[in-house]
Amino acid sequence: MVSKVDVAVIGAGPAGLAAAISARERGAERVIIIERAERLGGLLPQCVHNGFGLLYFEKDMTGPEYEKAFVDKANSLKVEFMLETMVIDLNEEGMLTVVNRQQGYKKIKPGAIVLAMGCRERPRGALGIPGERPAGIFTAGTCQRFVNVEGFMPGSRYVVLGSGDIGMIMARRLTLEGAKVEAVVEIMPWPGGLIRNEVQCLHDFGIRLLLEHTITFIHGKRRIKGVTVAKVDRDLRPIKGTERFFPCDCLLISAGLIPENELSKKAGIELDLVTGGPVVDQNRQTSVPGIFAGGNVVQVHDLVDWVSWEAELAGAAAASYADKGKIKRADQIRMVAGENIKYVVPQYISGKDDVTLHLRVSRPGLRANLKVGNILSKRFRSVRPSEMIILDIKAEKLRDARTLKELVVDCKLEGGD
Amino acid sequence: MSKIETEVLIIGAGVLGAATARELSRYKVDVTLVEKEVDVGWGITKANVGVVCQGRDTLEFRPEYHRTKLLWKALPLMEPLCKELDVPFKRVGAYLMIRNLARKDKLDKLAKRTESLGLGTDTYLPYSELKKREPFISRDIKGGLYDHAIAVVHPVCLTQALAENAVQNGVNLMLETEVEEIQTGDSYFSVRTNQGEIKTRYIINAAGEWVDKIAAMVNADDFVLFPIKGYVGVLDRDCSELAKSLLAILPEEPGDMNIVVPTVEGNLLFGIQLQINRRHDHSTTEHMARKALENVRKIIPEISEKDIINSFCGYLMFRNFEIGWHECEVAMSSRVSRFVNMTIGYPGVSASPGAALEVVEILRNDGLRLDPNPKFNPYRKGIPDFSVLSEKERKALIKKDPKFGHLVCRCEMVTEGEITEAIKRGATTLDGVKFRVRPGTGRCQGGFCGPRVTRILARELGIPETEVTKAGKGSAVVPLRTKQLLEEGN
Ligand SMILES: Cc1cc2nc3c(=O)[nH]c(=O)nc-3n(C[C@H](O)[C@H](O)[C@H](O)COP(=O)(O)OP(=O)(O)OC[C@H]3O[C@@H](n4cnc5c(N)ncnc54)[C@H](O)[C@@H]3O)c2cc1C
Repeated sequence: MVSKVDVAVIGAGPAGLAAAISARERGAERVIIIERAERLGGLLPQCVHNGFGLLYFEKDMTGPEYEKAFVDKANSLKVEFMLETMVIDLNEEGMLTVVNRQQGYKKIKPGAIVLAMGCRERPRGALGIPGERPAGIFTAGTCQRFVNVEGFMPGSRYVVLGSGDIGMIMARRLTLEGAKVEAVVEIMPWPGGLIRNEVQCLHDFGIRLLLEHTITFIHGKRRIKGVTVAKVDRDLRPIKGTERFFPCDCLLISAGLIPENELSKKAGIELDLVTGGPVVDQNRQTSVPGIFAGGNVVQVHDLVDWVSWEAELAGAAAASYADKGKIKRADQIRMVAGENIKYVVPQYISGKDDVTLHLRVSRPGLRANLKVGNILSKRFRSVRPSEMIILDIKAEKLRDARTLKELVVDCKLEGGD
Repeated sequence: MSKIETEVLIIGAGVLGAATARELSRYKVDVTLVEKEVDVGWGITKANVGVVCQGRDTLEFRPEYHRTKLLWKALPLMEPLCKELDVPFKRVGAYLMIRNLARKDKLDKLAKRTESLGLGTDTYLPYSELKKREPFISRDIKGGLYDHAIAVVHPVCLTQALAENAVQNGVNLMLETEVEEIQTGDSYFSVRTNQGEIKTRYIINAAGEWVDKIAAMVNADDFVLFPIKGYVGVLDRDCSELAKSLLAILPEEPGDMNIVVPTVEGNLLFGIQLQINRRHDHSTTEHMARKALENVRKIIPEISEKDIINSFCGYLMFRNFEIGWHECEVAMSSRVSRFVNMTIGYPGVSASPGAALEVVEILRNDGLRLDPNPKFNPYRKGIPDFSVLSEKERKALIKKDPKFGHLVCRCEMVTEGEITEAIKRGATTLDGVKFRVRPGTGRCQGGFCGPRVTRILARELGIPETEVTKAGKGSAVVPLRTKQLLEEGN
């Protein structure tokens, strides 16, 4: 047994690092980060592109630079790390079972826990693409790791399925590496990632983006030789006669991210079916007291800056929990996703304190009118599901809502789709 | 190119070839087992649902069929065999169910036949009783027969263990060795392979999907096979509780096979969607996937598309399919002496120990001298499976070898210790590791562990990572270095 850990953070990505730092800053004595990989940073070391820290540091940084800023701070605050250590169990009492080479098999019972396991990519099998099972099919993130961390290229001619941010960023990265990217194929009528990536990664490099298209067949016995791409109808079904063959020796899948919540399930934490992450209150406390969560494990963010900020909330709350043995749940008001809203995080707020809402729309459109009950409304020139909306609400605004049990968020599109 | 002489050449290291090799290793006889792939068990045996049939689960197992006889011969052998080889064997039990009470007479007939053959007693249970035992079954189900004896194995692991044990006992296993041509001599066959020539007295042709093509090389193709493509879907572990036992619907149309099978690892497979097909096309199709899902929802309506984490297709090689029933071919060729054909469309895994015994008998009757091998050791130790060990066992294992404290695959909880052990046992590829110790078979399908297993393979095999393959020649995982394309000015 490791002696009295105040806050244990699971995962050393941007969320875990930020949570640990803020827990230390809030006075938690012993903060320990448990990470299954061989180094810190989560996905940051493989994100060699820029665009990190624009909000948090007001500086355009690469992933490794962003990581370094947090790692340095964590080190100076004497945050402890357990690397190549897998948490294999977490129970309702907050008991962790961890395994590693040096210490073997251990149980840890910290004062509070922050879940910061991030998310994983949706794999190919789950998409059920018909065809063969050759080599040369990777999720975009796995390819990114191979190219940027391990130093290997999976191929020289690519098709990317799905226009998630990592997919678009990899399309550019591979082009810069001298590879040919035949197309980025997206089934929806709009791209899955940020506009900025669509412009900077695809348009600027002349990489074609095929919206409303999908892959209907994978060819090649040993190594992938190509894919059949077809246009889809309104129900997203391939239209006969529109098939085209694209030769490639590599297929990347960038079809969405799923919060990593296997441990949360083991602990019996209530999950939100839409976000895929735990249902949290304003302090990022989950349904199990003493277990907090922040970053992509809660909701898939577009920007790392928000991952850090969200995790800081969780880390700070975990520190006070470890200190006082308990903190009140901030669950007086339930946030409800209304018209054209996919989800709202946090799912519960106190109504007493300032709060920042994170939300996504279901459909894109122009001239959107966003409303939070009767207490707030805000106009947007355009909205897209791929761009998270951040909404700050001051405590005084919430005063009138305090008697309510629920607050519904709507986003009416006045300019049509 | 080498020249090899052997007494018995087995072509194909699927479950049938491997079982026969292992059976023959009990005797003092020279056996060579050749396999064209880089690993064993990657033919039809890989695309399998792993059920150990009991010969009474459908009316198709008529007592007069050869395949039924082989299966019955195998029944008492399978469990002890799995014990000797230290591979999992799990009796999951099965419910053969109907959706229309008019079909109950078929079940009665089946139960009666089972009883009259002395194979045990299967009880009929109405829906209300079934529902208690398997709470997720559809309301449309009216009742079903319970067969407690149905078991599952992992067919590829079984094949690996059979081959490993055969090699321990003196069999010469040659991988990546493809038979290309066979010449018949007076008392020897001369077999040309991509690795050189093999001179052999006997040939056991267990080439699975290619068995008729190999037979045709020497004009021993005195049977006709119909390849039927079968589709199988794999469900996420989250769905494991949806079925505790094998659940099947009594075929409503000929060729209808609608089952949900718990694997030895605990997740569920479903299928088998059948389709007559051009051979050697192993692709899954949208049509088969949709039909299979529609079908399985007749058993468990809760299963949905998003639960499917993988799917695959394999071929059932049926003899006599065109006349409405199917048969196997396990016999000495009637045209060519010392040439034995060996293929079982279904259930080749279940019947393999029986078929292997029968082939040994065929050779003995033909005059091959089979003195016992005094050094024969029937036991083989499996690779420890960290995910199912107790806390105490895990601690002990890590203490012995710290590599077991390093978890490489988070979804299936596989340690570096298991992966290096798999490589020691003969895995040389990502798939080879995957089929031995499962990294990459879970819900993220290798997203996390893929690069790590690639690195471990390179390290253990002493090759550059660019040479590590998914499944042998022509399937390099990462064939190029970063910057290589730029340097080559591509
Ligand atoms: C979808 C599906 C589900 C099934 N489910 C079950 C089940 O639940 N229970 C059951 O008992 N049975 C089941 N079966 C049947 C069972 O899988 C087969 O009967 C059995 O695996 C056949 O084994 P085999 O050794 O004959 O063939 P294979 O496994 O195909 O082995 C033949 C080997 O020969 C090699 N080879 C071929 N040509 C050459 C050459 N020229 N030179 C060298 N090597 C060569 C191949 O590479 C291959 O490895 C199922 C089949 C399918 C398709």
